[in-house]
Amino acid sequence: MLRLSLRRRRSLLPWVFLGPGLLWLVAFFAIPLINQINVSLQTGDADTGYTFNWAFSTYTTAISDYHEQFVRSIGYAATATVLDFVIAFPLAYFVAYKAGRYKNAMLLLIVLPFFMSFLLRTVAWQLILADNGWVVSRLRDVGVLGSGDRLLASRTAVIAGITYNFLPFMALPLYVSLEKIDRRLIEAATDLYANRVTAFLRVTLPLAVPGIFAGSLLTFIPACGDFINAALLGTPRQFMIGNVIQAKFLNILDYPTAAALSFILMTFILVGIFLYARLLGSRALREAAL
Amino acid sequence: MKPDRSFEAALDDLLTSERMSRRRLLGRAGGAGLSLSGLSVLLSACGGVKGTDAGKTAPAASVSVNHPKTAIGDWTFSNWPLYIDKKVLKSFDKRYGGHVKYIEDINDNFEFFGKVRQQLQAGQSIGRDIVVLTDYMAARWIRDGFVEPIDRRNVPNAKNIVDNLATINYDPKRQYTLPWESGAIGLGYNIKKTGRELRSVKDLFDPKFKGKVTMLAEPYDSANTVLLGDGVDASKATLDQILGAIDKIDKANAAGQFRRFTGNDYTTDLAKGNVWVSLAYSGDLVQLQSDNPDLRFAYPEEGAMLFTDNMMMPKHLAHPYAAETMMNYVYDPAIQAKIALYVNYIPPVKGVQELVRKQDPKLAANPLVFPSDAVRAQLHPYPALSAADERKMQEAMSQVTGA
Repeated sequence: MLRLSLRRRRSLLPWVFLGPGLLWLVAFFAIPLINQINVSLQTGDADTGYTFNWAFSTYTTAISDYHEQFVRSIGYAATATVLDFVIAFPLAYFVAYKAGRYKNAMLLLIVLPFFMSFLLRTVAWQLILADNGWVVSRLRDVGVLGSGDRLLASRTAVIAGITYNFLPFMALPLYVSLEKIDRRLIEAATDLYANRVTAFLRVTLPLAVPGIFAGSLLTFIPACGDFINAALLGTPRQFMIGNVIQAKFLNILDYPTAAALSFILMTFILVGIFLYARLLGSRALREAAL
Repeated sequence: MKPDRSFEAALDDLLTSERMSRRRLLGRAGGAGLSLSGLSVLLSACGGVKGTDAGKTAPAASVSVNHPKTAIGDWTFSNWPLYIDKKVLKSFDKRYGGHVKYIEDINDNFEFFGKVRQQLQAGQSIGRDIVVLTDYMAARWIRDGFVEPIDRRNVPNAKNIVDNLATINYDPKRQYTLPWESGAIGLGYNIKKTGRELRSVKDLFDPKFKGKVTMLAEPYDSANTVLLGDGVDASKATLDQILGAIDKIDKANAAGQFRRFTGNDYTTDLAKGNVWVSLAYSGDLVQLQSDNPDLRFAYPEEGAMLFTDNMMMPKHLAHPYAAETMMNYVYDPAIQAKIALYVNYIPPVKGVQELVRKQDPKLAANPLVFPSDAVRAQLHPYPALSAADERKMQEAMSQVTGA
């Protein structure tokens, strides 16, 4: 056994604790990321192989060819995130404050869809939204849809699919931050002559900001890169950047463009998070991290 | 789908029908395919994608090859999912000894190529003794020198190959490839919805079916079929002709004719009545018809594209004799009949229809599995394109499908 002074041991301790995590990050994040940058700067084709030659033009072509899908991804993901917030906030509020002894049962219901594969859940929506299905028939009966209109293979279906699939990612952080709020603060607000709306807007909502921040990131980021919903519920006209990357990588074998597109997406999301954090205030971010 | 059916029944139905679609469950082509098994590819491709010039020699006109008889040993066979009756593998092991490790890891030609490309280019073994790939990918492997020639002395049954496949443009003497199964690309439709039988490629563009048609995303299938419809011999198509066909598809798509571009995921849309007409694979329709008799498949009168999946031995394989013994085994009509009874694609071996008739007269009479000689003469293999032309075609098509 190595004999080290107490001070030495103290200074080593953080590294021992951090070690497994650091190794994991280096092996499965840093090295692949460097590789990805390397691949994105190569040129060539699948038959002759790819060689590295600082091909920054891949990035400019990727942006000019696929800006449409980028904008679409951001638009769909943002819409779905807002919808998720609108649906999940009352839900989380109810579970945190009003569910009483059904609280655990309701939390279980929110998590329950995760017991089934993401892919299968999305395939199930193909059936629910089918042209001859119950939903479309009823919507036709009440005149929302014309006889030639459809739900499946449309923008509505894709956004609905994303909203559905990522709802728990919004609901759970919101629930946690609402649950944490000290009820006495709300009581104090009402004692100070705030009506219920004011108490909600001035006390509950600001205290829920960490949950809103975490929930919207957990929803928006994966939704941005999602390709399953667009592939199964949409048409090429609804394809998102994830579909392009997937096709470039697996079918067209154009690795440089796929790597460049992924890198652009990643950069965009990082910058976006940074701006968003500034917008909500760094205190909220710190609390969200806790 | 009747609106009053329970969701569970419908989902069950869907899952079964997907399972029964034999292969290409996750899509055969382009952006339409969903490839979740691609993770391993991701990892392998991240490890530096530099090419080497190993194995770059063009195949000679005639090759000499000698694979001496050895023990079969433990060897590996990669194929598409649900593409063999597994009893055939067991009986092979029993008869010849050794053990075949049969892996169903080919879901998409390009995806599979991406997975093994680095090893092939570095001149290494990919750990498989037989792989089954579709014509255009087989052509690419031969062109790039990734395929070991077949020692035909070990495959005497190869003489049973059907006449229209005995030779093919990318391997005229079948020195590298032997067909596994074939299928035709034609019109899949729901007769109740269309109200009439379909016969022509032009029916895909009929404005009456606007928005109720799916098109295949793979240009080898869709663009060439469109060319046949315009009276061009698609087997000899030039890049310009193909680009013209893609343009035609683009215009119809812009006018809203096509609901989606698909891999073989059109089957769900067709079975559920979301679309009325699909550019479809014959083998899928054999399955779909058994669930829904209103679904039909027509070989277009202008001719149909014929795809063939081919057995090949990747370079530097460890068990060429075992691989050839298996090729010989499945070219025995009795064994091929067992496979035909299970997979419902077009068998490449003569004398199978008579054997199948004894067990399943209905299947033996099915023109989708056993096309008549007149139909066979109208089936066109894919054109042989250069690597650069192939890429231009794929790029043009991906502009249309939006991927």
